[in-house]
Amino acid sequence: MPEKKNSLCEESYFSDFYIKNIQSATNFAYYKSGDSEAALDLVQEAFAKIWENCSQIDFTKVKTYLFTSINNLFLNSVKHQKVVLAFAKDTPPQDKTNQSPEYLLEEEEFKIKLQNAIASLSQAQREVFLMNRIDGKKYREIAKILGISQKAVEKRMSAALKILKEQIENI
Amino acid sequence: MKKEKEILKWLNGELSDREIEDLKQSEDFHTLEKIAHYSAHLDTPKIDAQEALAAFKNRNLTKKKPKVRPLYFKTIYKVAAIFVVLLTSAYFLFSNSTQSFETGIAQTKTFKLPDNSKVLLNASSKITFNEKNWNQQRDLTLEGEAYFQVQKGKTFSVKTADGIVKVLGTHFDVKQRDNYYEVSCFEGLVSVTYKNTTVKLPPGKSFRVINNRIEKTDDFDAETPSWLQKESSFNQIPLHQVIAELQRQYGIKIETEKIDTTQLFTGSFTHTNQKTALESVTIPLRLSYKIKGKTIIFYKYEVQ
Repeated sequence: MPEKKNSLCEESYFSDFYIKNIQSATNFAYYKSGDSEAALDLVQEAFAKIWENCSQIDFTKVKTYLFTSINNLFLNSVKHQKVVLAFAKDTPPQDKTNQSPEYLLEEEEFKIKLQNAIASLSQAQREVFLMNRIDGKKYREIAKILGISQKAVEKRMSAALKILKEQIENI
Repeated sequence: MKKEKEILKWLNGELSDREIEDLKQSEDFHTLEKIAHYSAHLDTPKIDAQEALAAFKNRNLTKKKPKVRPLYFKTIYKVAAIFVVLLTSAYFLFSNSTQSFETGIAQTKTFKLPDNSKVLLNASSKITFNEKNWNQQRDLTLEGEAYFQVQKGKTFSVKTADGIVKVLGTHFDVKQRDNYYEVSCFEGLVSVTYKNTTVKLPPGKSFRVINNRIEKTDDFDAETPSWLQKESSFNQIPLHQVIAELQRQYGIKIETEKIDTTQLFTGSFTHTNQKTALESVTIPLRLSYKIKGKTIIFYKYEVQ
């Protein structure tokens, strides 16, 4: 990257970095904690850490640093609880043409099943799965952010799918 | 799970439409499709980035200054100053070191100067010179008597309390004692500066000053000063100078009783036998001597 390492200490550059990453960072914290307020607090704290130590952080690794900080802060502070994520109110059914009440009811049931199944995933599986599904991140990107190999991301993804499918089909 | 690889690729958006169609034919894909679809619509807290940033900036964070270990310049300067002083003083102490050679009573010394010039130092004499500068400046200071065999080269000067001798490359003797200054040339040409007069001495000539008076001297034909043969020769020299030389060569104390010590003496005495030496001085002057403890007393023969 053309920018110098210490450009992170420049306010305009830092703000840019902040705006670009605040949403996905908060999502990440949310996947872990299931608490939107706690998630934002965690992220703000992680950004604060980066700002305070801007001169010491390698510019090219700042994104990884951000997510690692969030993870560490989460492990240190937030009580581990069952994470149940809610669906957006305007979630469209998969088959938009089928508006029959039976179908819609069936789909609502499925959504509840899915919610519970996701809650039963391990934290590592959930965050990878949701980063892919919700944030639309590629495996390679997730691997870089989490500081793990792409193979590891694929394994977690695959394990998550397997559990979700089993859980949904069994209930 | 069948077709695991394809499913992962599909979720990663790496499959073409045709491959997706293929995948849809597999039996349990329906559920996966639903999972993929609905999970993407899970709600996440929507963050107003600008608002969050504003809140973030309100935190009033201070950048941690990178740890800087201060260089203690004051201490460094102190240490540096000490080193500078030490080094410079060491330079002057050692590089300008003056070399000196000294002889005691009844002692002679032979040594070579850095340019291989030879110096023979008579009893109770001292030579000092700058060893490091020698090749630039052949200067030395003499107290007492010395014979020089100078290598050819730049001007070689011998400074004494009484005068300066300058030569280029000769053999000469310089004798500087109390109220006595004599330069004798044995080879080459010697230039003697005494007060405001400069005298050039060819071989066999001497320049002598006694009691601040330039004395006339006879020519001599010796090839080296007599003291090199362990003998002191005198040619019309006041007796007190002869006595002084006796004292230097034998380390004795000589007193005189009712004797005119300014009378002139011509002759010589050996450095090897005290009795012979005393006799060779006293007898020609019709004097006698007696030994009283460590002192030797010269007296007039007739008186006794």
